[in-house]
Amino acid sequence: MTATAKRALDDPPGGPLLWIIVALELLTFTMVFVVLAVFRNRQPELFSTGQDALDPHLGLTLTLVLVSSGALAASGVHAFRRERPTRARRLFFGAAATGIVFVIVKAFDYRAHAAAGHGLGTDDFWDAYILATSFHLAHVLVGIVLLVAVGRRIGRTIQQGEETAVAGSALFWHMCDAVWFFLFPLFYARIAA
Amino acid sequence: MNALVWLALMALAIGAVAIGRIDIALLFAGCKTLLVGLQFMELRHAARLHTAAFVLWAALVTALLLLLAR
Repeated sequence: MTATAKRALDDPPGGPLLWIIVALELLTFTMVFVVLAVFRNRQPELFSTGQDALDPHLGLTLTLVLVSSGALAASGVHAFRRERPTRARRLFFGAAATGIVFVIVKAFDYRAHAAAGHGLGTDDFWDAYILATSFHLAHVLVGIVLLVAVGRRIGRTIQQGEETAVAGSALFWHMCDAVWFFLFPLFYARIAA
Repeated sequence: MNALVWLALMALAIGAVAIGRIDIALLFAGCKTLLVGLQFMELRHAARLHTAAFVLWAALVTALLLLLAR
């Protein structure tokens, strides 16, 4: 149960199936990023007006929460490999809890925008913002379910492939991090005047 | 190592907001993605081809967005 030695191509950390899913998700989100970047470029006034209603500090808070959650999940995988299941389980639950904080902050964000009259159908900016961030949020929700489901089993049931399940659920969670890293500047970094 | 990477990720996120420029923020996003990929996703220990594919993806996305976004 170690990841320190080089692994074969057909035995990636987290398992080949999760890596196929992650690769497909990253390619899908890449298309979303490109559409957003083109939109920023083609309709700068509309995008800039929409950005007036976004708080970059809220975006930063979301990033810091997600990054911290990812660090907890990664440490959980390492603790599992060092055969410290109780610590691994706690770290996985910690990662899920910080993920829930992300969801709550995002829910308040959507609620505030809805109260200000910003939502689907308002204009292209808000369509893009709601669709792209809620698509990401859906992945965060799946990631939380995976972390809790796998975390509950750590050290309690000895099953073949448990290492793959632990590393795989964390891998999916880190994908959510990576996607947010690009969504964050595309929406929150101001368009140059 | 995880703690160091976490600190670097936090610093890059705060730095991107403090600087406030899309090009810098996207460069930092690419760096953060590489850090997460190599350390948290454990690609440092994966097969070279696998690691190279991820690094190439992160570099291409960053470059493409730097070209397209303003």
